[in-house]
Amino acid sequence: MLQRWEQLLSDVVAIPGVRGASLISTEDGLVVAEAAMDELDGNDVAALVSALVSRATRVTRAIHAAPPRLVQLAGDGGTLLGMLADEPLWLVAIAEPGAEIGRLRVLLGDLAGAVT
Amino acid sequence: MRVLEPWVEAPLAEFLRESAARLALITTASGQVIAQHGFTRSLDVMAAATLGAGILATTGELARMVDSPEGFRVVVHQGQQRGVWLAGFDTPRGRWIALVVFGEASTVGLVRLFFHRFVERLAAAAPRSVPVREVLAEGFERELDASLRSLFGGN
Amino acid sequence: MVLEGLAADPTLAAGHDLLGRIRADEGDDASAMVSWRAALGCEPGHLGALKGLAFLAFRARDYATAERHLESASHRAPHDASLLTALDRVRAVRPSVHDEAREFDDPANGLLLADADGMRLRGGLGQDAPGAASDAAAAEAGGLLREATRNARLLGLGTVKHLVIESTDARFVVCPVRPDAALMAYRTPSTPTGRLVAMAQRAAGAAEKWLEEMS
Repeated sequence: MLQRWEQLLSDVVAIPGVRGASLISTEDGLVVAEAAMDELDGNDVAALVSALVSRATRVTRAIHAAPPRLVQLAGDGGTLLGMLADEPLWLVAIAEPGAEIGRLRVLLGDLAGAVT
Repeated sequence: MRVLEPWVEAPLAEFLRESAARLALITTASGQVIAQHGFTRSLDVMAAATLGAGILATTGELARMVDSPEGFRVVVHQGQQRGVWLAGFDTPRGRWIALVVFGEASTVGLVRLFFHRFVERLAAAAPRSVPVREVLAEGFERELDASLRSLFGGN
Repeated sequence: MVLEGLAADPTLAAGHDLLGRIRADEGDDASAMVSWRAALGCEPGHLGALKGLAFLAFRARDYATAERHLESASHRAPHDASLLTALDRVRAVRPSVHDEAREFDDPANGLLLADADGMRLRGGLGQDAPGAASDAAAAEAGGLLREATRNARLLGLGTVKHLVIESTDARFVVCPVRPDAALMAYRTPSTPTGRLVAMAQRAAGAAEKWLEEMS
């Protein structure tokens, strides 16, 4: 299972400009699998993205909307993209400025269905 | 928050804010309470400190049994609504124990991330002049009682 | 005949919708609006009423409102080609910057400005979200932006430009306006993400000017 997930993540980091990708559990904020997270601690990413998803969930709950299935945080130093795979698992990718975010969104959406 | 050693306050406040932990108890390995946040009764602090030290000691034995002689650095208990993070860690003032209780506003990952930063901040903030005291198991209760009196008052 | 039918059953959304069409054909836009709103009151999300209200808004050159009604209709009937064509047409004629500033004042347009303490300063999250829900969203907006800022800082993403949140029935963009304020834009998933980001950023610019004037 872990090997298959790491293969999925390696497809994500193959997109130019993607610094790393991971599969995280937002329930406990821990990393499940990761690829090419050399400069980033996968555990830090898991903890922080889980907190962000938790906050986003509070906002959707406030207006009685369905829980989030995508979060995209754009900064001037890069973009974080998280896609719900199979609750509580989220696929997360971090990209440099200039990376093809549209393509990354589509790919994460496709791969999210393969994480079961 | 109540602290016996003022230099612990800023790193602990930052840890509590960032991790969204509900309760925290920092003791020395000998039982002296260094700081606590969220406990309202000295009796609860005493029970938590004693149980925490006991859990770390027993899991240390378990670690030796499963051929991990350096012991477990962290023990996590995850409940439905509350979790407990229990860790022994080294500071310039000797070995300390942290017991952190977190709820739904936090996760194990978040506590882990900011606990590591807390340990680093403590190391940077610790005064170097006071010598590290020797840890004696038989002194645990006496140290605990004395520090609780300091934190909660004389009774 | 329609009026008699409605007198017998005033909760019949289709009756109000038909009456709205008749009145719009007669050029009585005010009465048509009353009828279509009544249809929505009987059946929230009634497709004919949403289309009718969009038509009235378009005729009155209120393109923002027209777009909003068409987006709601499109969310309920995503394969209706006539709706998508109408949306394209409205978006093509809609002026942007001026409209955003004006749109911001109408709570029904899904733009909300909150301060760092989570208090609502201006706007709201649309006609489907009552004031209490908008206040609740504002209360969360500050914390959400703080969390986004912490993520960006610790993960090396620099200064936050915007945050997108998508669910199966909602799409949000949150932008920092100043360190003490956050702007939230909310639409149904029929609004393209890139467009919503652009709208939110323009509205954030308008909000910043407003905050400067206030201080």
